[in-house]
Amino acid sequence: MARNTSTSGMEGQLRSPSQKVENKHEEKVQDLDREKDEPKADMGSKTWADLAGEMKIFLWNPEERTCLGRTAKSWGLILLFYFIFYTCLAGMFAFCLYVMLLTLSPYTPRFRDRVSPPGVMIRPYLNGFTIAFNVSQPNTWQPYVDSMHHFLAAYDDKVQEEKNIECVPGQYFIQGGDESEEKKACQFKRSLLQNCSGIEDPTFGYSKGQPCILLKMNRIIGYRPGAGVPVSVDCRVQKGNESHLRSVDFYPGNGTFDLMYYPYYGKFTHVNYTSPLVAMHFTDVQKDYLVPIQCSLNGKGIINDLNSDRFLGRIIFTLSIGK
Amino acid sequence: MEKRAQGGGSQCRGSHKLNFCPISLLQQAVVLRDAEKKELPADQLVVGDIVEIKGGDRIPADIRLIFTQGCKVDNSSLTGESEPQSRSCDFTHENPLETRNIAFYSTTCVEGTATGIVINTGDRTIIGRIASLASGVGNEKTPIAIEIEHFVYLVAGVAISIGVLFFIISVSMRYKILDSIIFLIGIIVANVPEGLLATVTVSLSLTAKRMAKKNCLVKNLEAVETLGSTSIICSDKTGTLTQNRMTVAHLWFDNQIYSADTSEDQTTQPFDQSSPSWTALSKIVTLCNRAEFRPGQENLPIMKRVVAGDASETALLKFSEVILGDVMSIRAQNKKVAEIPFNSTNKFQLSIHETDDPQDKRFLLVMKGAPERILERCSTIMINGKEEPLDSEKAEAFQTAYMELGGMGERVLGFCHLYLPEKEFPETFQFDTDSMNFPSSNLCFVGLLSMIDPPRSTVPDAVSKCRSAGIKSAALIPKRFLLLKTGHCSLSPSTFGTHLSLVQVIMVTGDHPITAKAIAKSVGIISATSETVEDIAKRLNIPVEQVNRREATAAVVNGMELKDMSSEQLDAILREHSEIVFARTSPQQKLIIVEGCQRQGAVVAVTGDGVNDSPALKKADIGIAMGIAGSDAAKNAADMVLLDDNFASIVTGVEEGRLIFDNLKKTIAYTLTKNIAELCPFLIYIIASIPMPIGTITILFIDLGTDIIPSVALAYEKAESDIMNRRPRNKRRDRLVNQQLAVYSYLQIGIMQSVGAFVTYFTIYAEQGFLPSTLLGVRVNWESNAINDFEDSYGQQWTHYQRMYLQWTGYTAFFVSITIQQPIFYFRIGIFFKDIVLVILKMHQLKTNFPFIKMGVSPPDYFLNCLSKDSKNKVIWVGIFSQIGIALILTYGLGHVTALNFTPLRFQYWFVAVPFAILIWVYDEIRKLLIRRHPGSWWDKNMYY
Repeated sequence: MARNTSTSGMEGQLRSPSQKVENKHEEKVQDLDREKDEPKADMGSKTWADLAGEMKIFLWNPEERTCLGRTAKSWGLILLFYFIFYTCLAGMFAFCLYVMLLTLSPYTPRFRDRVSPPGVMIRPYLNGFTIAFNVSQPNTWQPYVDSMHHFLAAYDDKVQEEKNIECVPGQYFIQGGDESEEKKACQFKRSLLQNCSGIEDPTFGYSKGQPCILLKMNRIIGYRPGAGVPVSVDCRVQKGNESHLRSVDFYPGNGTFDLMYYPYYGKFTHVNYTSPLVAMHFTDVQKDYLVPIQCSLNGKGIINDLNSDRFLGRIIFTLSIGK
Repeated sequence: MEKRAQGGGSQCRGSHKLNFCPISLLQQAVVLRDAEKKELPADQLVVGDIVEIKGGDRIPADIRLIFTQGCKVDNSSLTGESEPQSRSCDFTHENPLETRNIAFYSTTCVEGTATGIVINTGDRTIIGRIASLASGVGNEKTPIAIEIEHFVYLVAGVAISIGVLFFIISVSMRYKILDSIIFLIGIIVANVPEGLLATVTVSLSLTAKRMAKKNCLVKNLEAVETLGSTSIICSDKTGTLTQNRMTVAHLWFDNQIYSADTSEDQTTQPFDQSSPSWTALSKIVTLCNRAEFRPGQENLPIMKRVVAGDASETALLKFSEVILGDVMSIRAQNKKVAEIPFNSTNKFQLSIHETDDPQDKRFLLVMKGAPERILERCSTIMINGKEEPLDSEKAEAFQTAYMELGGMGERVLGFCHLYLPEKEFPETFQFDTDSMNFPSSNLCFVGLLSMIDPPRSTVPDAVSKCRSAGIKSAALIPKRFLLLKTGHCSLSPSTFGTHLSLVQVIMVTGDHPITAKAIAKSVGIISATSETVEDIAKRLNIPVEQVNRREATAAVVNGMELKDMSSEQLDAILREHSEIVFARTSPQQKLIIVEGCQRQGAVVAVTGDGVNDSPALKKADIGIAMGIAGSDAAKNAADMVLLDDNFASIVTGVEEGRLIFDNLKKTIAYTLTKNIAELCPFLIYIIASIPMPIGTITILFIDLGTDIIPSVALAYEKAESDIMNRRPRNKRRDRLVNQQLAVYSYLQIGIMQSVGAFVTYFTIYAEQGFLPSTLLGVRVNWESNAINDFEDSYGQQWTHYQRMYLQWTGYTAFFVSITIQQPIFYFRIGIFFKDIVLVILKMHQLKTNFPFIKMGVSPPDYFLNCLSKDSKNKVIWVGIFSQIGIALILTYGLGHVTALNFTPLRFQYWFVAVPFAILIWVYDEIRKLLIRRHPGSWWDKNMYY
């Protein structure tokens, strides 16, 4: 279009008497242009209607009885082809996975390099790592207490006595024999947690503003923590006033994971295995403050200072106890 | 040039864009104002001014001549024809470009003087209008840009449909809306072929570089491909197809026509020079000639020397210099005593010389001119050195020869001589050219010489390559064999073989129709067997109107006829005739012709050199200018410049352009395949809620890291041997990315690749303790920061970071799997096996006639010979090794940089996807086998791209 206007602009300037001959020639040229431009313009205005029409024909062409450019037969064939194609592909996929799974042991994963050294978790765990309640308002701490009871149900002395055996403390409980043989688990009685067992004080100290928090170490098949020396737990204020955390009691023992609970043999053979726990009784924590606390495992082979993983061998949580 | 355009002031308005304005800042014009002659700068002229020009002047504006004296102008800047044209006050033609009484701005007055009235100045002059015509012609999208756009639409369509589909799925799966939107965006982004732009640019640049080596300067990168899809080449004649230099082409003496060598670098002339008539003729040619070599060119080849003199005399001078050696010394030995120079009234040139034979005291009168005028003055004719009376039979022979030479579009000159009797003209005789005190009739006719601006020697071959070279060989090679080798032919099977016309070459020239037709015939634009309507009429002896136009394959269209044609008529001509010559065309008409060709759906290339070509060059899909002969305007308007003016380079260009298209197709198939392998994991992640199989950064590393070099390497792919035998790509039908290609890449190979990668992914997780069944539906807990005792299939507990690290290992494994499977692509497109298959095929053909025995070559040797002939693309190997190398570096070198999400991978995981790579290859071979076995079948239609 721009071309046409420029041509006609030029024409206008040209019209001088002396140039009649020339103009005649030029007009012819322009006529050609005009004739050419008109269908072009037509095409431009038609496009949308055209497109809609084409689309309609494409969706369903009654003459050739085609839908999306294919007849029923063609569609049938192509769908059949893809059905067979993808079935074969799925078959190949399943076969490859099957062969791969055949090579795996059902009891021990092939590699354990990504899961060790162990991570750490705490209970009660509701929806974060901040434990905040007001002593005077039971509804603020009741969920924590319920969570603790729920979690410790599996550690009831009766249940433990029924399912598990007593082991020799201070040494790994190594069970030889066939891999597929069922392994025995050591008793970890709730009563071992003493003040934090919830037996004497069903509120786990929450009603007194002295909350109990349970710490457990992640299970890793075949892992022997501490290399002969039990792994112990300690807690301190993380980045803050050290005096806010004045005393913590650890149960059982001095906050150690006894060796007899290790190694773990996997959930298929070590069915009744209950992870050993360490209860931390925060008997004197600054009230009305957010106190960030880091509890770490200490022992040989334990890593607790990795920047990228804040749950590896340690755990950071916040205590906020109100009156 | 630029400087001049900037300084051109008002004269140059509107033409800055083109950067040409052929007037010098300091140009002065002699103007008659206020009854006195003034010297004014040319840009101060106004319409109505009376200007005076003389030989050597540039015409300062378009002027109508009111007084002339022997005025000749060189219109080459306008028409491209450098032959000086005489100007007079007579109105001879209603076309201003043809009439004698108008001289145009920017052309040069070669000789004589003239006075004229200014009728147009500045932009309104013819040349100014050509300039604005050229600048007014919009740049249209190149075919490759259209194809890429089509591809982008396709990818965008796929991306958005999948995105929306999965948005709906994720919403109905109760994902949060925000998450669903993130998925939507993620899917769309994953579909973007990030590396494609780089690859396309690199491919185009590489080709441009390759072409620069062959003296094709590509100004517009995308134009490279355009040349490949070109279906019509509109070529200018003078300077493009021809040498733009008058050369002696034929001689006639002793009743016989001899042809002379017209190639660019003639050193000898092969015709029979033993006849005494030739000796006489050569003497006339040498002596009756005022042209001289400029001094100081002794070391240059004769053909390249600069000559002072007009085109015909130059041609004769060079011709005689080549045959006789030192012309100047011959002239010195035959001292000139009198001369009548050529003028347009008597149409001959005459000179009288002493002879070089000291015994012979006679004077030699030599004369040349328009043959009929010369013959009028002759009473005898020289046959084999003897003078014989010129009877009607001999005159008839002369007429036949004259007509024949004239019919070939050549300019014919007659030559005659006379030895003046010694008695009447003693040595001391004073010749007076005004009173003509010597005889100028009853001379002895010696011969004719005809001259033409001959075609460049490379042109006929190039034209035939463009037009038809491939047809025969294409017919010989079975189509399925082509497919086998390429798998990527741009032609669809149904159209192959039905329509084999290749690139059409049309001549568009400002020259005379007869000359144009002769040149067209000699370069093969009009083939030897084809006829125009006029030829048929002549042969059948019927009026032109009665001839069935469809029978005539060739057409010569005059500019005057073109002027009266409607665009429908022009379309009809372009449709009905395959061999067309347009003669006497104006710049505007060139434009119209190009537009007409484009209306036929053709991709049009225009070659030209003059200012007059520049609008057409600009309008064409690809404009090709001549580098040496070309004017700056033409070069500016063109997309490509042939630096050595070699028309044959166009053929190279066509080949390169087609190659680029093929290679881009390969690149895109390569890119699309991998795109699906990047997209699939994301879709599965949404649907099955498994841990993310591949991360965004990893995808970027595939697209911009490992895959760039291989896809660029595809640009180095050599051309298939049939590349020039194919029909030009049909703009509308043969797309860069068609449905089959997309479906094949997306739904078949892409999916296979993804499945292969998923096997690796599941293997990694299973071997670390997460069996596939555990992984399904874990997404929310898996990604939760708070859950640090996430239990695996074996009862082990994982912290969040440990899981993430495992996830990155999964990314790396997925990445490695794709990287391992991608090179299979090279096998797929048959790069490695192409040669072997070729050899097997040849061996198969040869089984019947045992050529090994005939040739004395053992089969293994033959095998190797065949292999080395098609040298393999070494860059492909670079591509493969770089791909694996980069993957190794990323995995093991950068595996500890957590931000990149790569982890060092166990060695065995590199090979998990190999069975799938093999599966892909086998599948593709089966696909190709079935296509070959069952051409035209359902399989062929759906699986061939």
